[in-house]
Amino acid sequence: MTHFPVALLPLPVAIPLVVCASMLATAHLLPGRMPDILATVTALAVALLSGVIASQATEGPLVYWFGGWEPRDGVHLGIGFSVDAASGWIAAFIGLLYAVTFVFAWGFFARTHGHFQILMLLFLAAMVGFCFTRDMFNLFVWFEVMSVAVFALTAYHLEESALAGAINFTVVNSLAGFLMLGGIGLIYAQSGTLDFEGIAAAVARGGRDPVVAGAFCLVAAALMIKGAIVPFQFWLADAHTVAPSPVSAIFSGAMVSLGLFGLAKVSALVFGGSDQVHRAVPILLMGLGGATALLGGWMALLQRYLKRLLAFSTISHAGIMLTAIGALSLDGTGGMLVYIVGHGLVKGALFMIAGILLATRASVDEIALRGLGRGIGPAGIAMALAGLLLCGLPIGVLDQGTRLVQGALARGGHGVPLAAGVIGAALTGAAVLRAAGRIFLGLGSDPGDEAGAPSADEREKLNRPLWLMLGPCCVLLAADIGLPAELIEHGAPGAAASFLHRAAAGGLAEGPAWLPWLSVAGAITVAAYGLFRRSLPGFVVKPVRATQSAPTQALEALHSGLTGDYVAWLAVGVAAIAGVLAMA
Amino acid sequence: MTPRLRIGLLALAGLALLPGTAAVTAGLPAFGATIAEYGARINAIAPGERHVANMVSAINFDLRGLDTLGEEFMLLAAITGTVVLLRGRRGEGITERAMRRPGRAVIPRSDAVVLACRIAGPLTALFGLYVVVHATVTPGGGFQGGVILATATLLIYLGEGYAGWRDAVRSHWLDAMEGGGALLFTFCGLVPMLFGAAFMQNILPLGTFRDLFSGGLMLVENLGVGMAVAGGFTQLFLEFMEETREADQPDEPGEETA
Repeated sequence: MTHFPVALLPLPVAIPLVVCASMLATAHLLPGRMPDILATVTALAVALLSGVIASQATEGPLVYWFGGWEPRDGVHLGIGFSVDAASGWIAAFIGLLYAVTFVFAWGFFARTHGHFQILMLLFLAAMVGFCFTRDMFNLFVWFEVMSVAVFALTAYHLEESALAGAINFTVVNSLAGFLMLGGIGLIYAQSGTLDFEGIAAAVARGGRDPVVAGAFCLVAAALMIKGAIVPFQFWLADAHTVAPSPVSAIFSGAMVSLGLFGLAKVSALVFGGSDQVHRAVPILLMGLGGATALLGGWMALLQRYLKRLLAFSTISHAGIMLTAIGALSLDGTGGMLVYIVGHGLVKGALFMIAGILLATRASVDEIALRGLGRGIGPAGIAMALAGLLLCGLPIGVLDQGTRLVQGALARGGHGVPLAAGVIGAALTGAAVLRAAGRIFLGLGSDPGDEAGAPSADEREKLNRPLWLMLGPCCVLLAADIGLPAELIEHGAPGAAASFLHRAAAGGLAEGPAWLPWLSVAGAITVAAYGLFRRSLPGFVVKPVRATQSAPTQALEALHSGLTGDYVAWLAVGVAAIAGVLAMA
Repeated sequence: MTPRLRIGLLALAGLALLPGTAAVTAGLPAFGATIAEYGARINAIAPGERHVANMVSAINFDLRGLDTLGEEFMLLAAITGTVVLLRGRRGEGITERAMRRPGRAVIPRSDAVVLACRIAGPLTALFGLYVVVHATVTPGGGFQGGVILATATLLIYLGEGYAGWRDAVRSHWLDAMEGGGALLFTFCGLVPMLFGAAFMQNILPLGTFRDLFSGGLMLVENLGVGMAVAGGFTQLFLEFMEETREADQPDEPGEETA
């Protein structure tokens, strides 16, 4: 017999499943707005339940055994959920992001009779299951449900580019599924169990073992593919660019960071006992994370198509999160958890602004839209604010996460990834600010290198008033800014400790207060350079143009959109991970 | 990248992975060396505590039932996604009955085909049902039986023609079957919680070992899966057939990209 609050654990997964099955069964009977209402209420219920679970999990993780199959004599028979405070809060955040996104997409998908909401709710259930599970194979099941739901959501527009983006996503993420399944097979062969704790015990007993390292290599590669880490990042830009804007908000706000969340969990709780993995993880994650932060930021700056720009910005921020995981400390993990929430709120808001432009101005091409945003000023203010938050304006959740990540990196003496994070954040913020200046203020008549970036004709139908689209976007920004700082300061250390199953150890280290300002100043400088290029003296502009154009074109050429290229890079990435593990 | 460069990069990565692969292969337990403890436990639990002869069903629908619930909804996501994409611009609008293209001759079927399908169709459906309900006794279960059931509906198409098939099969019923089956499966998890048991804990009478009525809740779960799979697959056939139809109403402005 299970009691409150443990008995709540299956509900955040089961409720969306029940709602989407009932919605499918009665799809043609439901009146017009019913799917929207049902989906929003369900997402809110998930957020609320997850929040209750998280607040009850402060003493230690809550454990639930499905089917009543509790371990017997140390053998794990069934599947368990194990929810620590951090996993619960992340699930609550995801539920909230979904609810706001459903409001943003109000009536947008009316023609599909609830099928959009069914897919989104399945996607939500899979994400929560992914957060809660303590079983490797169950983790894989939810990982795959996410991929399957995403394919149809990405291809929704049914144009050539949408189908190409969806196919790239499917091929790369199916390979991720294969890698993960292979890794699970290896670790099961060696440990004879699928439960996180069971595997961890076997790993700690085993000493240096190539099979454990191989399993970690495959599972980590799979999760980094989901998390869009260099050199696995290629699919993301293609998929986010073509997906409908409400879907992109979820992709960038929750799905990508959830891959990294899974990676943090698996490296700490499952493979943490292996010295080899423990030595390899900091080098690997710092290196890849730093490279990802820089490449994503630079690529974001080179884009003219707003959704593609935001996609690259997500890649950059995923890199920053990865460096935080690589610190392998309470500070780093706490920072990453706060960063996931802050980044999700801001990035979700930015994709909604892209959706507003698609609906009201029938384009998101920053050069084509120059000066055309004047009628929808509030959206411009929101966009500028989001851009400033993105590069590190010292208010709100994202800033707190940034400072915690920087503190962890500074404490661990990881100067290079720290600098990469600061530069990456500045570059993505600059890209967003420049686009906002062009679209809403009409600045930046000289298109510069951005003119060579890919663009496309895209529009979304305008069937709802501006306030209904702008409202959810402002709710997200307000949540980022308005969440009391003390709440996070008090909550984050405990959440990080319970996430890592360690004892809490006081407060978390914060980075120097001037560092975020450095990012902001850098972002404003770079954005101003992009906007006022024409009025700057030649001796400033010419050297920049001469040195930047060639590498820029080379980078753009790498993102060719060809699945074969992406698969080749994926193999290189797996080889790199294996190489670092072998050296460790 | 040129194709040659791409292959070169892939080959290089594969080469770099070779020593690691060799080390992993050498480190694995030898083939058939040990029967994992987990397997031995399940071989004892399934007949003893669940009265089930088919171990695979015991794992899929009881011990690791949550995985199967996830798989069931993965299937549902795949089918719903395919339906959304196939309907595409055509939208929700679906004709109630088959449409005829004027001027195109309908070639009559030979009596032999009609007779064979009319005999084989009900038999196939019966066999599908048999596979579904004997999930706990013989190899098979809801997924396998559901596909066989869906095949039986295709035999109607073969025997009676497209018009006859569309008369027999209604899109909304298929949705109801697919969603209803998945709902039944989820309720098999939730209802035990109302009685104070865990999610998907077997609270029904377990029946007799090697009897049709054995395994308790597993039987209901398999019925749900069978329903959902049969409905889902038939829905897929229907949408693939309808895919070729042109949209019969003009697009709303902006609809083409919305």
